[in-house]
Amino acid sequence: MDTKNNKLQAKDLINVGIFTAIYFVLFFVGMMAGYIPIFIVLLPLICPILCGIPFMLYLTKVKIFGMVTLTGLILGLLALLMGSGIEVLVAGLVFGLLADLIFKAGNYRSLKWTIIGNGVFSLWIMGYVSRMFLARDAYFAKVAAGYGQEYADTLMSYTPGWVFPTLFVVAFLGGVLGALLGRAVLKKHFEKAGMLDA
Amino acid sequence: MNAVCDLPFEKKSVIPVDPRTKLFLTITVSTIMMSGSVGSVMNYIRPCLAILPVCLLLFSKRWKAVANFSLTYFILFALEIEVLPLLSGFWNFLLGALVGIYTHILPGFVMGYYLIDTTTVSEFVAAMERMYIPQKIVIPVSVIFRFFPTVIEEYFSISDAMKMRGIATLRSPMKMLEYRVVPLMMCVVKIGEELSAAALTRGLGAPEKRTNICRIGFGVVDILLSVIAVFCWAAFLIW
Repeated sequence: MDTKNNKLQAKDLINVGIFTAIYFVLFFVGMMAGYIPIFIVLLPLICPILCGIPFMLYLTKVKIFGMVTLTGLILGLLALLMGSGIEVLVAGLVFGLLADLIFKAGNYRSLKWTIIGNGVFSLWIMGYVSRMFLARDAYFAKVAAGYGQEYADTLMSYTPGWVFPTLFVVAFLGGVLGALLGRAVLKKHFEKAGMLDA
Repeated sequence: MNAVCDLPFEKKSVIPVDPRTKLFLTITVSTIMMSGSVGSVMNYIRPCLAILPVCLLLFSKRWKAVANFSLTYFILFALEIEVLPLLSGFWNFLLGALVGIYTHILPGFVMGYYLIDTTTVSEFVAAMERMYIPQKIVIPVSVIFRFFPTVIEEYFSISDAMKMRGIATLRSPMKMLEYRVVPLMMCVVKIGEELSAAALTRGLGAPEKRTNICRIGFGVVDILLSVIAVFCWAAFLIW
């Protein structure tokens, strides 16, 4: 096997798979809460906080450029498979790559860059929300047809246009909070259990 | 060759469907069902797409899953047609949203269940290699494919354990999060390490190209299903 340190190896790729799976399951649990109309606005806050714990543990195993990008890309592919459209795939790839660059700037060790990077990575969730704002009329016509007019009206009243940029900020903050929570949990549990060596 | 045909994973369903067809169908069903519709033709296509995964499960002899999902569909439609018109105001809003969510997500979910339950990891890897997907994506995706059932199973076991200790309700969300996510990650990471060792032993990541025992390929059923899916896409995008 190639022993060079800066190339992705099978073990790294398996790690990508494991943590992407945990991330996606937790993300999905968070998404379910998002179907209560008021919560859909809170979604970009809740999901990154929830996913902060696996992501911080994941980052202790990431030492090579490309792993976080792959995670973003695969999360996008999974979302595509679940019918969320192509926007999520693009968002996953773009923000995965950006986050990867930020982590690299901190050499995958610096706490400051890790927290900022997790914030940026969390922005991929905006792929889900973007359709609501970018193709607004078509989206709400479909929501009204599928979920009833009252649901559509409620959702619409909670999401005026200025909410869109705000949600980017919210998602970023969610990512930062998630990173801090993840770090606290990491310190409390995983160090003790000796899982941070790898 | 006969010996290969007798292997249990080669004979899983009455009508074998290629994993690539399954993937295409999954995207079709979930995307079209999720986005909802306003057109008239779609009113016929949507129920067909909702029933399709259940039929596929039936042909794969997954009796229990077929029974469960059919019952769920039946209850949802009964609620939508019989109960929903009787309600008004807040309750209409609540039930409408709930039923709407389930009828939108469930078909995609059933299709995903079918995809994962009736495809072995080997078949899935073979299919992805035939699509010329690079190893860097094939390995993580096949791990995820193998892992989804495990993560969900472990999650439910942990929730049962936590219920016995009285950490079940939403009384303290932080505690619940900590006591569920942390053990879940501990055991999943451990399983992952074992899986990783097993996979490396079997030559994953070796420089040689790996061989695969699974024979996949398109048959009449695949062509038929693909034509149906393409027709649905055409209807979905044009109307």
